[in-house]
Order: sequence, then C-alpha cells, then structure tokens
Amino acid sequence: MASTGERVDVTAIGTAAEKLLTNIGNVIVGKRDAIKLVLVALFTEGHLFIEDVPGIGKTMLAKATAVSLGGEFKRIQFTPDLLPSDVTGIYYFNQKSAEFEFRPGPIMANIVLADEINRATPRTQSCLLEAMQEHQVTVDIKTVPLPRPFMVIATQNPVELEGTFPLPEAQLDRFLLKLKLGYPGNSEEGLILQRFQQENPLDRLKAVIEPAELLELQKVCRKVYVSDSVRDYVVAITQATRTHPGVKLGASPRASLSLYLAAQSLAAIEGRNYVIPDDVKTLAIPVLAHRLIVKSESSLRGQSAESIIGEILTNTPVPVEETK
Amino acid sequence: MKFTWRQGILYATVIAMEGSWLNVVLELINEKAVGGLLSTAGILLLLPISFLFNSWLYWLRWHRFFRGLANIFAWVIALLLMVKLQLFSGSPWADSSWLLAVPKAIANLLYAFAPELIILLGSGVGWWLGWRLAHTRITFSAAIGEFQFGLVILLIAFATARGFEIQIANATTIALFYFLVALSGISIAHAEEGKSWLASLQSGHWLGLLLISLSIIALLGMVIGSLLTPEFIKLIVNALNIAWQAVLSLIMKVIMFFANLFPMEPGQIGPPEEVPPPQDELGGFKPHELMPEWLRRSLRLGWTIMVLGILIIALWRMFQPLFRWLFRRFSGQTDAEFESMQGAFKADILSFFKRIIYRLLRLKLPFRQKAASAEMSPIRQMYRDLLQWAAAQGYPRLAFQTPYEYLNSLEAVLPESGKPLHEITRHYVRARYGLTSPTDAELHELKRDWHEVKKRKMKPPGTSRDKETPHG
Repeated sequence: MASTGERVDVTAIGTAAEKLLTNIGNVIVGKRDAIKLVLVALFTEGHLFIEDVPGIGKTMLAKATAVSLGGEFKRIQFTPDLLPSDVTGIYYFNQKSAEFEFRPGPIMANIVLADEINRATPRTQSCLLEAMQEHQVTVDIKTVPLPRPFMVIATQNPVELEGTFPLPEAQLDRFLLKLKLGYPGNSEEGLILQRFQQENPLDRLKAVIEPAELLELQKVCRKVYVSDSVRDYVVAITQATRTHPGVKLGASPRASLSLYLAAQSLAAIEGRNYVIPDDVKTLAIPVLAHRLIVKSESSLRGQSAESIIGEILTNTPVPVEETK
Repeated sequence: MKFTWRQGILYATVIAMEGSWLNVVLELINEKAVGGLLSTAGILLLLPISFLFNSWLYWLRWHRFFRGLANIFAWVIALLLMVKLQLFSGSPWADSSWLLAVPKAIANLLYAFAPELIILLGSGVGWWLGWRLAHTRITFSAAIGEFQFGLVILLIAFATARGFEIQIANATTIALFYFLVALSGISIAHAEEGKSWLASLQSGHWLGLLLISLSIIALLGMVIGSLLTPEFIKLIVNALNIAWQAVLSLIMKVIMFFANLFPMEPGQIGPPEEVPPPQDELGGFKPHELMPEWLRRSLRLGWTIMVLGILIIALWRMFQPLFRWLFRRFSGQTDAEFESMQGAFKADILSFFKRIIYRLLRLKLPFRQKAASAEMSPIRQMYRDLLQWAAAQGYPRLAFQTPYEYLNSLEAVLPESGKPLHEITRHYVRARYGLTSPTDAELHELKRDWHEVKKRKMKPPGTSRDKETPHG
C-alpha cells in the first residue's frame, strides 16, 4: 500500500470527478451525494448495489455512469430462468472450424448492469462471485479474464419480494457500496419533468472519460495518504460491528479493506491527497451496513444495520488531538 | 444560563456532592483546630450562593476581568459577613474588629491557628467550587469525575478523623447522603445525554422512573446503613490496620536490610553521647545586642518570610502536577469520553503518576522538553489550545466528533468567528491527517486569528444551540 506519506497529486481525479458529476447530473437530477458514491465505487473499482423502489432512476443512473465512462456497457435482466451460461458465456462447437469456440456472455463488459439481481436463482447469482472478486470467469475448464475497468451495478427492489431469492452474504460482501436513491424533492421532480419533456437526456449524453484514463486514476487513488490514526479508526469501527450485541454477523476484513480503499477514493474526489475521519464516517453506512446480519430480536426492537452503524460511530472516538 | 428542570436537579446534586465532602473536611479541621467552635453549615451555604451569583454574573455577559473582580469582591463580603456572624455576633456592627479579624489571623498564622482561618479556607473553597460549577456543563463524565473525587476526599477525611480520634457528627448519614445524591446525579446525567433507557423507551414516564430510582437507592442506603454497625466497621478498620502494620514492618525490614549493607563505625550505632554544655567563652557578651531591637525583629521577619517562601515554592513545585491533574478533571472535560468507574480510577491514577514521572524526567533532562515540543507542530498545539479553551467555555469536543463536525458546533455558538475557526480547523486537519504543516506566513495569520477568537465570548450553553449540534 502506497499510503506511506508520499505526496500524490490528485488534481486529475478531482477534475475527472467534477466532469463525471456534471455529466451524470445532466440525467439524474439532484442526488449529488449518491452520484459521488457511484464515483467512489468507480475509482475504487468496486461494485455497486442500488436498492430502491421502482421508478427512482436506478437503471438510469447505471446507464448514465456507463455512457459517461465511454466503456462497454451491458445490461442483464435477472429472471428466475436465467442460467449462469447466459451471464458468463459458453463454449460451443463450431462445425465450420470443427473446434470449440468461446462465445462471451454479457458479463464481458466494462460496466454490467445486473437489473433486479434478486429475481435470479442462487445458482445464477453465484456465477457473479468469481467475476466480481477476481475479475475473471471460468467457463468449462477455461478461465477468461474480464475487461478492465470492470464494475457491476446491481439493482434490487425492496418491495414485491414474492418469487425472489435474497442475496447470500458472500454475494453482498462483494459489493463495495450499497446506496438508496430516495424520492426526489418537489423542485427536483419538477426539473425531471422539464428535462424529459422533449427527449431523454441520456440519448445526448457523451463520454467524458476513457476507460484507460480511469485505470490510471484508480492507481493514483491507491496512493492517497492514510495516517495511522485514521487507519486505526477504520479498524475500530469494523471491529465494533463484530462485538455489537445487536449484530449476529459483523463486518469482514474485506469490509474494513473496502472502507479503507473507498475513503481514499472519496478523499481524492474531494481534492485531498490524505484521508480524514469525515471520509470514513461518510462511507461507514454505505460500505458496512449491507454486510451486517442483525439479530432478529434487535430487528424486532426496531434496530437496523444502518442504526447500528450510526450507534457505533457515536461510540467510537475520532482520532483528534488529546487534550489531557 | 437557560436551565431545564433536569439540569437544575443535576446541578443541585453536584452541589450536594461537593457540599458533603466539604462539610466533612471542614468538620474535621473545625474539631481538630478550634474544638468545634464554628458552624460548618453556615460556611457551606456559600457554595450554592456562589453558584447562583456566578451564574447570574455569567448571564450578564460582562467582560471576564470584571466578572472576576465582582466575584472576588462578593467573596470578600461573604467572608467578612461569615466572620461577623460566626465569631463577632455579640459585638456591634460599628466595632471594626470583625473587619480586621482575618488579616490579623493571617499575620498571626505562625503563632496560632485562629478560627477565622477556617472560615477563610472554607469560604474560599466553597466560593471557588460555586464559581467553577457555574462555568461547567455537567455531563455524564463530569458527574462521574465529581463522584470519584468526592469519594477519595471523603475516604481521606474519614481515615484522618480516625487517626486523630475525632468524632465527625453524622458521618454515616453524610456518607449515605453522598452516595444518594451522587448516584442520582450520575443517573440523571446519563439520561440527559440520551444514553440511558430512561431517555429512550420510557421517556414519557421520566419523572416517575426517576422517583422510583431514587426510592430504590434510598432503600438500599437504609439497608446498607442498618447492616453497617459500628462493630462491623471497627472490625474492617482493625483488619485494615493489621494489614497496614504488616506492610509497614515489611518495608522497615527491607530498609534495615539495606542499611546493614553499609559499613558503620562502631561508635555510630546507638544513641549519641551526652554533649557537655558550651562554656561562655565570650564572658557574658551577647552578639544580638549589637543591633537594635527593631532591626533584629525586621531581620527575623525577613528570614521567616524567605524560609516560608522557599517552602511554599517547593511545595508548589511538588504539588503542581496534582493541581494540574485536578484542574483537568474539573474544568477540562475536554474530550467528554466516559469510561467505566473502575477503569477511570485506574486510568486517573496511572495518568497522575505518569505526569509526575514525566515532570521529574523533564527536570533532570532539559533536552527532553525540547524533543517533546518538537514532536507537536505549532498548529496542533494551537488546536489543542482551542479545544481546551472551548471546553472551559462549556463546549467540549465530544469523542465522536471530527474536527469539522466540532467546527459546526463552535460556529453555532460563535458565529462571528466562523472564518478564523474554519481556517484553524482546516490547517489542523491538513497537519494532523495529511502531514502538511502551514507555512510561517500562514502560521502567523492563524495565530492572529486564534487571538481574535479568544477575545470573543461564546453563547452560554443551552441558550441558542441548534438542535443538531451534539451539545444542544
């Protein structure tokens, strides 16, 4: 890890982030903080899980991000009859060449939208595990690397759960962030109607950054300085999730690593070459909440993963100057 | 200061806690020094009076200097009135002897310990406690600190009383009362910070629950009171005494063992030989008669003052770490973390000894001081000063607040200093988390900002804090 005090120039990341924010903001009205979280996932090369009711703009956000990036975008509509091979691709026998040839599936793209991911069977959901963690897929006996940068944006509808398959913990743990968009405000909704009156602004959207450029910026993000005290703060928060009485399963080491890397990206997006505790606090709920399993008795008492993380943040001292 | 009734009860419990241990200490001195001549209850009254007076002064929002002046003036008046009512109640008001009683008692301190000095001491401590309380926001950690400190003072006072075989009136009642008010205060402070079940699920029945809690505490107190018979206490004290004697004898044996390791002349052991009285070689001449009596007295006075001064300086140097530690416990509350009571005792004692050792090392090795100060950059030192200053004003940074979150809290109470506070915080954050210190020019600017901020007055706690600020 290059966060050892070396100074890194993050101006390019700040500029790229501002361009992306403006570009995506042309389609998604308001929701600047949510878009910023999407950029955090983008610069960390993490995967994004969006959960919200239909019609909020989940798919629109994913599409706008993909178009702004200028890479290859594929959408997979997850349904109960979807098979793993429909996602990863298959080896078929080409009679013309008398050889087995690989026909890539929609996963072979820079940005993959897994729409309504919980509608597919666990078998199909699991085929994403290897792709998300190791950026490769194994078809038959052959391993095929995925294009870089690679990002999965999955969406899920929290209502109408009949006939769906809840995502297993192993799957959820592979998503860097989970975010909820929420309904727009009055003025924002008015602006949406105005913008979409003539045409879909997505059709006019242009790429503002190239995939190769993004890969370089991702490397710069990893060089953002994280002081020992902030690193300890990240560890303290993650460890507190494991000992909280209301939690059945706490956050994994992968979660603390995700929080650490995401904080680096957020700091760079904000134009800083060092991470501050505010970055960690901002990201704690989006990064950690979906990885916790709350005890059923705590849920009955009205506690949620988000409220538990909030409680942990209130009880974890921030590394600031000692006055004693 | 805008008080809610809960805060009112909280302040009352702290006053009662401080009053309890102060009462025991004063009773002890009163019995030992002047045979119980004074009424300590009268002196204790000054504590709540001082609190109310200083709260009123704070509300007036005068300049700090004038507030201090008015406070000292009020204390002197209260002191003189106390002397008049307690010691000169029979003499007429026109007789000025009660006005001069305290200065006279101070002048005669070397020869006799007058009751006026107890009033001076008691009223001074009581008044100072009231002043301090009026400027302190009672949080959960502050209540815990008060309880711990009071408990230690009470234990020392009771042990001393037993050592001198002094009977303190109503000692058991005072101890029970102390625990009652302390536990009530701690519970209220806990609920006040929203960390208690009192403040959450059953918030609608807060008063009822408080009364039930108080009743349970009182009942437990009575049960414990009935169990703790004098014989039982005597048994415990004797057991402690035996243990102490055993430790003492062990220490003495160790010292004797080490002493025996040194070579000694045969004549050195045993009592010194009788020294014959010196012969009058000067043939009745007395050297002190060479100087006039007034000069001799003046020189003696000067010598006494010098010796006393050296003694006081030495004592001050010795107890400075203790005072600093106590001061931080009282007025600091800077990081408002709360800790378990057991842990707090241990942490405080360790911290206290650590400070003393550090100070001793610093005295021996001056270069260590330079090394220590070099570790902390000026901006970090400045931010630490800012935290201490804001805490003393009643707005400590809470443990979970980041510098920017704390900045929002400060800006709410010090809106006119928003820009300089923001600059100080920004540079501090860069230095603390980004290893980028401000340049000399920036530092100069920041120092000026910091001096400007210090001149400003914060809004008193609880007057106009925004609801979202953590102190609100």
